[in-house]
Amino acid sequence: MEPAVEIRNLVKEFRPAGRKEPLRAVDDVSLSIGAGEVYGLIGPNGSGKSTTMKALLGLVQPDSGSCRIFGNDSLQVDSRQQVGFLPENPYFYKHLSGAETLRFYGKLCGLRGAALEGRVKELLELVDLSEAGNRRLGGYSKGMLQRIGLAQALVQEPRLVILDEPTAGVDPIGSRQIRDLIFDLKKRGITVFLCSHLLEQVQEVCDRVGIIHRGRMVKEGPLDELLAVGDQTEIILRGASPELLEKIRALVSSDSGAELLRAGRPRTTLERLFLQETADRRKP
Amino acid sequence: MSHPAKNRPLNPRRIGVITMHTFTQLVRMKVFYFLGVFAVILLGSNLFEIQDLGRPDLEGTDVLRSIRSWSLGTMTLFSVVIGVVATALLLPKDVEDRTLYTILAKPVPRLDYLVGKLGGVLLLIFVSLLVMDLLMAGVLALRTNLVVAEQVAAVTAAGWPAAEIEALRQDTLNQGPTWSLHGAVFVVFLRAAVIASTAMMISTFSTSTLFTTITGFLMYFIGNFQAEARGLYFGEGVSPLEKGAGLLVATIFPDFQLFNVIDNLIEGGHFEGGELPMLIALSGFYVVLHLFVSWIVFAEKEF
Repeated sequence: MEPAVEIRNLVKEFRPAGRKEPLRAVDDVSLSIGAGEVYGLIGPNGSGKSTTMKALLGLVQPDSGSCRIFGNDSLQVDSRQQVGFLPENPYFYKHLSGAETLRFYGKLCGLRGAALEGRVKELLELVDLSEAGNRRLGGYSKGMLQRIGLAQALVQEPRLVILDEPTAGVDPIGSRQIRDLIFDLKKRGITVFLCSHLLEQVQEVCDRVGIIHRGRMVKEGPLDELLAVGDQTEIILRGASPELLEKIRALVSSDSGAELLRAGRPRTTLERLFLQETADRRKP
Repeated sequence: MSHPAKNRPLNPRRIGVITMHTFTQLVRMKVFYFLGVFAVILLGSNLFEIQDLGRPDLEGTDVLRSIRSWSLGTMTLFSVVIGVVATALLLPKDVEDRTLYTILAKPVPRLDYLVGKLGGVLLLIFVSLLVMDLLMAGVLALRTNLVVAEQVAAVTAAGWPAAEIEALRQDTLNQGPTWSLHGAVFVVFLRAAVIASTAMMISTFSTSTLFTTITGFLMYFIGNFQAEARGLYFGEGVSPLEKGAGLLVATIFPDFQLFNVIDNLIEGGHFEGGELPMLIALSGFYVVLHLFVSWIVFAEKEF
């Protein structure tokens, strides 16, 4: 099957003012994302994540290597017919309302008339902004801006969605809404390529992950494989009595090759606790 | 490999979308408030005879000429300022706000984006000048009728022959809202179009709105001396350095002196044969040239 994204030996250098040597932002990066996959690119600030995404969108030109989207050279305008992009901290036009914003981007993609209006309504519902659709973006919160940004990325029903830090600066509730939207895209078979600093969220939504550091891809593969600790096994029990736990301990200690490393109550995350006590509590 | 729809440059629909969006953006930035100020001054001048202030000797056709003169002057000021400032502001603002990323990440050729942005500024200037032109024509028509009535009454009482009265009447009407005057407003628009395209060209390689604005005004100022630079290049007895400087200015800067035909039209003159088509052609040439250079720079630009 044709990959949604194919980046081969991508190199990108910048020449900052006052510096003789060029700065290599992306150094021989290769990756491939299958259709329908959710791929997360993670790395510290300045590691080359955004530059890789911009090269894929034709916003910067590679010094060498190539980027292809569903087999089309990403420097060609036509390749963007199948791509939706949400940049990091997007501002959009404050003078437009949410619905007008979606209409503007829809028209740029060739949508017209009833089809466009139907799509605008559908997307506003999808990102839970139907009631705020006629308000100007100047009055939107950060989370609402991210959601309208995601809606504009989806306006032409792209097969690939690129999200650059989609939850940057968004509170945990807004962050979870965006996470749910990514799950929804995955269910619909849309390929998602995202980069984020929120590692827990990447772990939650991504099928495959690439770790980029100083412009180089240092680790890449399916998330389950990358996270599995080869010589350890996890057993989680519910309703286990102290007697049963004692029996298990004794059983493990009777095996010379095995060692019980840790036993105790599993802990939730602070994010899950926060959501449980705020957003989930509000639900009827 | 899948084959998506072809998105060729210069798609009129896509350009129209960006043009209308830019127009809306500028309108919502309250640029049209200037029209309100213009209307108030124009109507105020008619009611309170503001144009007579400091010039108590003004009467008859002088009053009409004065209204034409400062109306065209205000239109020039408005169109030049909007042409430079609005164009200089829009492109860097889109880059700064990263809205440009979301637009260029859609199937939008960069040429269409540039043409659409320039189109939006020009549409705004055109609509503004049209409204100002209509206001000026209305006020001038009222004022001309008053002046004609006064003059005819005075010269009839003085016993002028009918033919001379008619000649005087025609002379006065010639200072009213004529087609040449509308033509002068159109020349103001052409000049603004050249200035706006110049500012767009500068903004494609500049990284600052302030630099674009200052350079835009500077180019407008130097462009008014382009004819002298041309004369220097073709002149005799000038040093190679002067010739080189003259050639440089004559090549880079549009000749804004060509648009000074407006002064003659304000005085009641008319376009000479082929003058307006030549101005349209020259303005078109400059706008296309500036857009072409802008595109060459912008097509390779990285964000």
